[in-house]
Amino acid sequence: MAIEGIDTARCNGCGACVLSCPADVIRMDKDAKKTVVRYPQDCVVCCWCIAECEQDAIVLTPIRTAPLFTAWG
Amino acid sequence: MEQGSSTAGLGFPEGAWIKADRAGGNGGPAPNEYRLEADVLVIGGGIAGCFAAIKASEQGARVILVDKGYAGKSGQTPYARNFMAFNPAWGHNLDDWMAYINKTSEYVNNRYWTEITIRESYARYLDLVAWGVRFQTGEDGQPIRHPVPPGITDALRFDETSGGDYAQILRKQVLRSGVRVLDRIMIAELLKQDGAVVGAVGFPLDRYDLYVFIAKATILCVGACGFKPAAYPPIVQLTCDGEAMAYRAGAEILGKEFVDTHSTRMDTPVGIPNMLGRGRNVPEHLKVLMGPGRGKPETNAEGNPIPDRPAGASLYTYTYLEREFEAHAGRAPIYTPTPEGKKEVVGGACLGMSLRKADGLWPADTHCASSLPGLYAAGDALGNMQNGAVYALAGSAIAGGAVTGTIAGVAAARQALRMGKLAVGEREIARAKQAVHAPASRSGGFSPRWVTQLLQNTMMPYFVSYIKRADRLQAALSLVMFMQQHLVPRLFARDAHELRLAHETRNMVLSAEMRLRSALFRTESRGNHYREDYPRRDDPNWLAWVKIREEQGEMRLIKVPIPTEWWPDLSIPYEQRYPFRFPGE
Ligand SMILES: Cc1cc2nc3c(=O)[nH]c(=O)nc-3n(C[C@H](O)[C@H](O)[C@H](O)COP(=O)(O)OP(=O)(O)OC[C@H]3O[C@@H](n4cnc5c(N)ncnc54)[C@H](O)[C@@H]3O)c2cc1C
Ligand code: SF4
Ligand code: SF4
Repeated sequence: MAIEGIDTARCNGCGACVLSCPADVIRMDKDAKKTVVRYPQDCVVCCWCIAECEQDAIVLTPIRTAPLFTAWG
Repeated sequence: MEQGSSTAGLGFPEGAWIKADRAGGNGGPAPNEYRLEADVLVIGGGIAGCFAAIKASEQGARVILVDKGYAGKSGQTPYARNFMAFNPAWGHNLDDWMAYINKTSEYVNNRYWTEITIRESYARYLDLVAWGVRFQTGEDGQPIRHPVPPGITDALRFDETSGGDYAQILRKQVLRSGVRVLDRIMIAELLKQDGAVVGAVGFPLDRYDLYVFIAKATILCVGACGFKPAAYPPIVQLTCDGEAMAYRAGAEILGKEFVDTHSTRMDTPVGIPNMLGRGRNVPEHLKVLMGPGRGKPETNAEGNPIPDRPAGASLYTYTYLEREFEAHAGRAPIYTPTPEGKKEVVGGACLGMSLRKADGLWPADTHCASSLPGLYAAGDALGNMQNGAVYALAGSAIAGGAVTGTIAGVAAARQALRMGKLAVGEREIARAKQAVHAPASRSGGFSPRWVTQLLQNTMMPYFVSYIKRADRLQAALSLVMFMQQHLVPRLFARDAHELRLAHETRNMVLSAEMRLRSALFRTESRGNHYREDYPRRDDPNWLAWVKIREEQGEMRLIKVPIPTEWWPDLSIPYEQRYPFRFPGE
């Protein structure tokens, strides 16, 4: 389970999700005045962004996926 | 944007972050450098940092507060609900509260700090009320007191339905006090001069820039220390940065052997229901994450209830080790009853965290000063052992943050205001900058995400961090030392986001070494520290704390005896002194 994306049709670029994300997953794209999911692999599904977003623009799946554990990285 | 605050020094949301962090580093142009001066630098903006900043500012000091996240929306502070408050007018008796804690702590609480936290909690409650924080009140207008545990101590509860998020009210008060707030900057190295701490160096999360803070006094309020456990999102940012940089600078650290043993539901990790439940409409497809809660009794794989603590030992049985004992006996999984049937409960939710207020900087005096001049600590970053080996005083974590934040803020400001102008040598600044930027200047190496995973996998098993024994601790330690010697020096960051991950990883690995060495050193069992090979408390030898400091590049462990006047009466039989029996005693 993790953040999947931002519904750009809904996002108004308020930035609340960027500021509250403790894992720095979401960033602001100045030109587009929208947020983008920049580091989805670091999402810890804390749901801060969901709680902050008044536009319901965050797409987050409740289905859990585990990252691969590898011999080197 | 509130006045006086800024996001990494740039206005938000104008900062073109997504573009900016592609420049610089890895052979690119040198990072921009910003220098800021303050009387008092507060690192971390949870309840401890906010109180420290406000109180230092009230003394007349120029204060900068810097946070890795967005102060008011980061750390654990926004999650807390219960605030312990002691008020004789409500019939509270200090001796009763102390007697309860002294016993539940298994006699290794620092009674000075336990008492000061209790005594000053009500004054801090009044501060919060004055700043606009609302608490639940009854029809008589008085705050509703929640007796936890019944008949012993009381906690008050924030009223977020009418009052708004208390952590954000705190942030507003910080700004009203004239404190300059810088968000989204990770502090990674302390500055030292003539044996004293004179500030710190950090970087914004989204660009290869460096921030040099020159300060007459620095207060670490960076919260607890964890290894980013997936089952406890509230501590993902709290990666032992404070104690690691303080240790590297020569400060003493305490309490790494007393593990926090929060467990959680497999399907809804801690904190998610709290976060989603903050009043907004939860999207339908995410309601499943709210979960049906937890109940009692929990049962093991054989369907038998897992043993609970004897009455009076503590209400907070979940911070003990019962589930780990069951797992070790081969009786996992553990289930909790819920309205939707039984659900699995897992351990290790707070991997890397010590019992609240056990670990952190050793308080060298009664003013939250560390063993290094110029450096103070407060809140979860201060190892003041207010709860000893077991957390049994509900609401004392945030109350303790408010109390120690106040003490540290006043003391740091007074120290700073007595000092003349500070000039910090360029060589020291250059050293710190180099250390901070190092992972970004390497052309290759190991990814911090991978090393973090290795660390989690080494430390997570119940038979390493919770049910301890010398041979297993040694085995884990040899792996952790390999990480420290061979992987950490080659951590590699491709952008500012990964620079953060690299420093976090470096700090967590160091903290894991502290945790394992302290656990090996304490050859007894007590509270949340269980040694299978030493399953009894050993009062004659271990009414003591374990302190750590660096000496000639080695981690040295020091036993600090507890004042004898704080000892339990050793003529009372062991079984009465300690109502709980460890397996194998
Ligand atoms: C779900 C949950 C429920 C809880 N309930 C209660 C309760 O009811 N009662 C109670 O008393 N306690 C409770 N607690 C515990 C309590 O919240 C914490 O003990 C307390 O908030 C700690 O405050 P603090 O200011 O020390 O640290 P935190 O609030 O954790 O703040 C630390 C800050 O430091 C910043 N930081 C970290 N590293 C760096 C760095 N390198 N550079 C810059 N900044 C940094 C972080 O971003 C963060 O903002 C709860 C905790 C959780 C998670
Ligand atoms: S909080 Fe919602 S509306 Fe605001 S920037 Fe984030 S996704 Fe867009
Ligand atoms: S769920 Fe949490 S970690 Fe994931 S993107 Fe949202 S705020 Fe960030």
